Amino acid sequence: MRQRSGQVMLVVIFAVLGFMVTTQIRNQQRLVGMLPLRRADELTALLRAAEAERDLLRYELASLRVRLEEVAASESAAIAALNRELASLRLLSGVSAVRGPGILVTMHDSQRPRTRQQDPNVFLIHDDDLLKVVNELRAAGAEAISINGQRLTALSEIRCVGPTISINSVRVAPPIVIAAVGDAQTMEGALKMRGGVVDQLSLWGIEVTMTRERELLVPAYDRVLSWKHARPAEVRGTP
Amino acid sequence: MIALAVMGLSIGAIIGWNLPLRIPAVHARYLAIAVLAGLDSVFGGMRAEIEGRFDGVVFGSGFFFNMLLAAGLTYVGDRLGVELYLAVVVALGVRMFQNVGAARRLWLSQYRQKR
Repeated sequence: MRQRSGQVMLVVIFAVLGFMVTTQIRNQQRLVGMLPLRRADELTALLRAAEAERDLLRYELASLRVRLEEVAASESAAIAALNRELASLRLLSGVSAVRGPGILVTMHDSQRPRTRQQDPNVFLIHDDDLLKVVNELRAAGAEAISINGQRLTALSEIRCVGPTISINSVRVAPPIVIAAVGDAQTMEGALKMRGGVVDQLSLWGIEVTMTRERELLVPAYDRVLSWKHARPAEVRGTP
Repeated sequence: MIALAVMGLSIGAIIGWNLPLRIPAVHARYLAIAVLAGLDSVFGGMRAEIEGRFDGVVFGSGFFFNMLLAAGLTYVGDRLGVELYLAVVVALGVRMFQNVGAARRLWLSQYRQKR
């Protein structure tokens, strides 16, 4: 009898062991399947697909805008005044491309050799460097600005995203080319001012070069204008 | 004896394979450590059997107690922020090698004596 219970005990113990081993193996298979690395790969693929779709839609938007302009141009002279105001507002909002004299500002990351103790971050172009340059250009009367083909509008952001800079939700990386339509001499002078932006950036070896252009093209803001929260408000008198 | 062990093992394996028991990732390590402790007990039992001093009660109690101890140590280590489970892995690993090695040597010498 004692012998028999010992045998049952043995079978039970080994059954427990076998059960645990297989459970563990199955769980391990499941866990390996959701490694963070694979997840990152999947997300990258999703992001690529989304970006491709976005580019397609952007193209569609551009062609539709061309049609809108055609239609607007064909209207009678009675609404010419309205059209003029519309054109002005389109320049201001950035939905139409702008042509005119101005300057091209090109910025490169520092090429200066650095020692190991120095923080490599200070030798790279950051969002706040761009913001300073853009601010200076606006102060000097720039009428339209684009950075690497991204038109700056009232809604544009200039923000660090990892190693790149996001403008209009598009990632932008050095070399940075800023096109600004306006009075070239004034804008160049504002940037080159002693102790000004270019002076500060050259401290870290960030190269800023400027060329005056007779004819510059600043592209249109190529995203859909959609208003989720803002509605026009009727305000009587001056606020 | 071996037949009983294989039988138990296959019963458990079949149950484990067909029962979709999901262990959350956080707790997966406790089961892994417990499995390791179980394997250690089995190898210890094997050695004892060859040495002719196998005791079912010692084996059974050791099997479950060591499992709980190993998983418990891992838990305590997680609470304290010390990777105590490494100590369990090392201790059990070394012991498994020792037990299997001793069992192998004993078995070889018994085999030679018979011839």
